[in-house]
Amino acid sequence: MRNLFQYVPGNSLIHRLNPITKIVLTIAICVAAFMTDNLIYLAALLGVDLAIGIIAGVPKKTLGILKGLLKIAAFLFILQALLTRRGTPVFWIVTDTGLLLAGKVVLRLVVVCMPLTLVLAVTRVSDLANALVQVVHVPYKYAFTLTTAIRFVPQFLEEMNDIMEAQTARGIEFDTRNSFKKLGMILPLCAPLLISSVRRSDQTAVAAEVRGFELRTSSSGYKRYPFRLCDLPAALLCAALIVLAALI
Amino acid sequence: MIKLENVSFAYAAAGPTVENLSFHVEKGEFVALLGANGAGKTTTVKLIDGLIKPTKGRVLVNGEDTAKTRVSRRARQVGFLFQNPDRQICKNTVREEIAFGLRAARGDLGEDGIKNRVEETLAAFHFTGEEEPFSLSRGQRQRVALASVLAVEPQILILDEPTTGLDYSECCHIMDTISRMNRDGQVTVVMVCHDMEVVLDYAQRALVMAGGRLLGDGPVGKIFRDRELMERASVLPPQITGLAMRLGEGFENADTAEELAAVVMRRREGRRKQA
Amino acid sequence: MIDIQALTFTYKDETAPALENITLSVPEGGFLGIIGPAGAGKTTLARAIGGIVPHHYPGDYYGSVKVDGLDTIDNRLTDLSRIVGTVFQDVDSQIISSVVEDELLYGMENFGIPHDEIPRRMEFALKQVGIESLRERTIASLSGGQRQKVAIASVIALRPKVLVLDEPTGELDPASSRQIFTLLKTLNEEYGITVVIIEQKIMLLCEFARQLMVLDHGRIFVKGDTREVLSHAEELEALGVNCPRVAYLSRLLEKETRETLPVCVSIEEAEAMVRGLMK
Repeated sequence: MRNLFQYVPGNSLIHRLNPITKIVLTIAICVAAFMTDNLIYLAALLGVDLAIGIIAGVPKKTLGILKGLLKIAAFLFILQALLTRRGTPVFWIVTDTGLLLAGKVVLRLVVVCMPLTLVLAVTRVSDLANALVQVVHVPYKYAFTLTTAIRFVPQFLEEMNDIMEAQTARGIEFDTRNSFKKLGMILPLCAPLLISSVRRSDQTAVAAEVRGFELRTSSSGYKRYPFRLCDLPAALLCAALIVLAALI
Repeated sequence: MIKLENVSFAYAAAGPTVENLSFHVEKGEFVALLGANGAGKTTTVKLIDGLIKPTKGRVLVNGEDTAKTRVSRRARQVGFLFQNPDRQICKNTVREEIAFGLRAARGDLGEDGIKNRVEETLAAFHFTGEEEPFSLSRGQRQRVALASVLAVEPQILILDEPTTGLDYSECCHIMDTISRMNRDGQVTVVMVCHDMEVVLDYAQRALVMAGGRLLGDGPVGKIFRDRELMERASVLPPQITGLAMRLGEGFENADTAEELAAVVMRRREGRRKQA
Repeated sequence: MIDIQALTFTYKDETAPALENITLSVPEGGFLGIIGPAGAGKTTLARAIGGIVPHHYPGDYYGSVKVDGLDTIDNRLTDLSRIVGTVFQDVDSQIISSVVEDELLYGMENFGIPHDEIPRRMEFALKQVGIESLRERTIASLSGGQRQKVAIASVIALRPKVLVLDEPTGELDPASSRQIFTLLKTLNEEYGITVVIIEQKIMLLCEFARQLMVLDHGRIFVKGDTREVLSHAEELEALGVNCPRVAYLSRLLEKETRETLPVCVSIEEAEAMVRGLMK
């Protein structure tokens, strides 16, 4: 969990892609996943996700994300399968239509979430923000908010983890296996966590301000983000994914 | 009381590890763990508390294997004061904070017993009980954290850099309280600390770590004088000990300014008589 | 370089002033250490020098703070930041990027440092702080001491005339703390950067700072040359500020020998003194 949203340095083809290309590719996968209603095509899209992770040289991380998503997916699958009333029953109240529908919902969820997290594993957040500002002309303020939010997630999780450890040490049963019980114990701790988070984000704001946050314009960036030859196949892949989704 | 037998530990991801640690801590001792950042000191104290379990070897606290008991059940035996009090404090008043810790660890006292214990603790630490922890200074918050750990009356107290971020008087206040309880035989202390002056003033025994291994173990004064050991662990001895080592012969036992000054005065006296 | 006249400041929504009647001047190339018990106003003073008080934290403000001739009230925080570089207490909340190199780039890009000069400054800052090898590393993979060095490097890259640091060695071990002080000494002596540092590690402060100021309850308790301040040891102790033990030793020996002895701030000085006494 701690490594969620954390950049993994590397020099793979995926790392070298223009950050904008990576965002477009992510969006293309999402759009394709929502356009199609074909189970096999959805599975193929999952294959594309996994392939991207492997080419980027982060197979462990990819599998980690997949594993995390599958937990939520399993829950959704059961819910969807139980709640669908149409179709012929296969066993108990579960129908064939229900199973098919549940499969699609779950696959779609996984297909959409994977690239969103993967893109952050293979792109420096600052590159992402700079490219958005330079190429797409997103106002810097919004780009900064995005990067700060992304950086905040692992910090927050780490803090949470440390607090739970400290509470366990004084006898609060955070080491229980009962997730509901654990959730009930976490809630009272949210107040101190929020206080420290607000204090923190204020300090981040000052730190940015004294390093010229307000002076930043779209041409401030030292690095440039031109599209290169390797972006072309990625663009073609995007087009192909959407066209295929429309055809199937 | 605490027994580590060939203990190794490695985090799943990269991170500090400890390798093949073995040592004992007897009842009533005040032990300091020394070493640079990343030497494995915090990992070691977390192993003692069972917050993490060894990947190899055994950790025994009061004869019980930490791998086989839940940490939250052992809060009665082992108290842990963290570097950052804000991770521990979660209630709106000092009274509630102390009661919260007691209810979790000392259900055996009963509600009346807990109430009494809370009031005793407040009195001992000179709190009214109505203070709001988050409007207190860092040093005061550390005292709140210490009060709620000691209220439980643990047999073992673990301190992980307890004086970080505190000013000198806050630091003395915290350490004096702990030291008093240790001398009264109420609690065995294991402390991670970067301030060698504090180590010299309060601890009796030092364990020196580097790269996750135990390099040295002995009385504080003797450990600080082991030049090669200090260098390998990148630890600098406290000022007066460092000075005494430079001055060489005759200063082997001078660790405080008073002791060192006494040696100097004796020497001057000797010279005068010779002359 | 820094000229503070009768500064009194009360944060908005507070009743007691955080700083009261502070008058202070630090010459160009000075090295000032600030110490004092919790709640003495040390952090507020650091903020006032950089203009963060009152620009970011508003409140009742009397008196004046001038840095390099600029009044901090009349100038924008951004313009003041070109002169004063501030390193804050909490390292993790001041690092903005996820990779070391980007963190250094951030300020340089914003302040419009010409792009052909950026590589040179980048290398200078990394080299001064001794973290050339960490350039491509992610912040998450660094230790506390390394992160602290990154924060300092990202400020040095902007070539400020004044460097203000708020307890930069708080979470560091003694060896890394000494490294940070040695680095500040180099920047101060070789590049003439004026250094103001808040610190609880009295031994390091006394060894490196030329001027010392002790704050208590928002007021100046004592200020002056380091040795001069240390001669008030007993009053300081009563306030809850300790002295380095070698300084204590020199006082003790002075009493016993009834000779006038220098106030020692380092082990080397104390060794010379003691050897002199035993001749």
